[in-house]
Amino acid sequence: MGTQSAEDFKEIHSLMGMLQNLDVGLVILDREYKIQLWNSFMESHSGLMPYQVRDKSLFEMFSEINEDWFRHKAESVFLLNNRAFTTWEQRPYLFKFKNYRPITGKAEFMYQNATIIPLGSADGRVERIGLIIYDVTDVAVNRVELKAANDELKRLSRTDRLTGLYNRGFWEECLGREFKRCKRTGSVSSMMIFDIDHFKKVNDEYGHPTGDEVIKAAAEALNISLRETDVAGRYGGEEYVVILVNTSAEQAMIYAERLRKLIEQTPVSHLNQTVNYTVSLGIAEINDDIASHEEWIEYADKALYRSKEGGRNQANVYS
Amino acid sequence: MNPTLNVTITEDQRDCYQEISNVAMGQAADLLARLLDVHVILPIPVVNLLEVNELRMALSGIESTDSVSGVCQGFIGNGISGEALLIFNDASFGDISKLLKYGGELDNSLELELLMDVANILIGACLRGIAEQLDVVFSQGHPIVLGQHVNLAELINANNYRWTKTLAVEINYKIEGFDINCDLLLLFTEEAIEALNTKINFLLDD
Repeated sequence: MGTQSAEDFKEIHSLMGMLQNLDVGLVILDREYKIQLWNSFMESHSGLMPYQVRDKSLFEMFSEINEDWFRHKAESVFLLNNRAFTTWEQRPYLFKFKNYRPITGKAEFMYQNATIIPLGSADGRVERIGLIIYDVTDVAVNRVELKAANDELKRLSRTDRLTGLYNRGFWEECLGREFKRCKRTGSVSSMMIFDIDHFKKVNDEYGHPTGDEVIKAAAEALNISLRETDVAGRYGGEEYVVILVNTSAEQAMIYAERLRKLIEQTPVSHLNQTVNYTVSLGIAEINDDIASHEEWIEYADKALYRSKEGGRNQANVYS
Repeated sequence: MNPTLNVTITEDQRDCYQEISNVAMGQAADLLARLLDVHVILPIPVVNLLEVNELRMALSGIESTDSVSGVCQGFIGNGISGEALLIFNDASFGDISKLLKYGGELDNSLELELLMDVANILIGACLRGIAEQLDVVFSQGHPIVLGQHVNLAELINANNYRWTKTLAVEINYKIEGFDINCDLLLLFTEEAIEALNTKINFLLDD
């Protein structure tokens, strides 16, 4: 052996040592998806020695890998001689390995990104593919937690604390969108506003905690009677609003009457006291005269005013 | 940022970039056509030197009100670095799903699969085409999902771009007979433009 080839051999030996110690999973697969190379990262995390997996089918050895999905990705690498990447967002992992930090880590398993690279032969055909597995658990866990926190913030910023209905700000945004949608598509929706009759008296007579219970009870009655597409919010102290999507004033009136009767028949019990209460409602159907969603609210408010004038515990449509 | 950087391109250089993009784009379209067995309509790539805050205007193939999804992928090699952005009109997913022959309901995760599949092909092939012509080798980072079902402004503004100028190559892919519309944007950093211009000048001298 000449000096040159001895040097070459040394270099290859060092290179192999580096590859073995690389803290990244390296796998080589042949055209039949049989494992040809298995580095120490794979060995340590899977508990399987290279001789145990060599020439074995990837899918037989690792049932957690969705065969159809993986073939879909890998075949394009064989066919097109083009790299493919998969992220943990598609599938959390390819190989179900335990978290590298079993004690302080928050996830049970290792989130993985994977790169599939074509390994060509001299004639340009792809005969093998290389699989590189990256541990991205920390990134993934942080991202998932951040998203959960943001979702919760979003929910909180939209919700009225006492009733769990949408708050005024978010509800008005929804009404603005519905207004534009109706104008664009020519569909007919209605909005309804209602408030609790003589609420001040409830507070004065029974105290504020009971008053709060009444506000919650009205919200609950509203929630029960709501259809899936309706959007309900708490507009002010004892004022509530609902967008009734694809609903005419006539249909809205049926809905309003149902809600009015439900509330009339459902007294609130709190601290050994029973409070009977009623609501007055106003309805406005969208029409060409209404130029903004604010105006839409005004129209419904006028109908509500008529219900108050008319003796309360009733519903009216703006006309 | 170094103010003395040469961040201009001449008309000749622009033509040259256009030609290089054309070849690379053609190779990518060929791969896509082979994988999907369809005819890909070849657009003319648009090469522009622009301020990053003009990025939205560069995405001419997509309306600002459309709901879109996007991925980006960084690349670097021989002093040339940048990012590839693939932006998909959400209305395209139905047809793409048919073409890629994925079964099942079209939900968020399936859309992500489709997005990644197309990104793998188009970005990979385009970058390889450009690298071969410039005689460089690019390392590619892992793709990152920028967002799903957002509008263009949300997709772009969510990211705090640090460069002021970028060389942008926009390729708007369409597929014949299908409602598929996606924009591939190759963005090169300010520093990269200088390195690119040097490479290009060799080609222009020939």
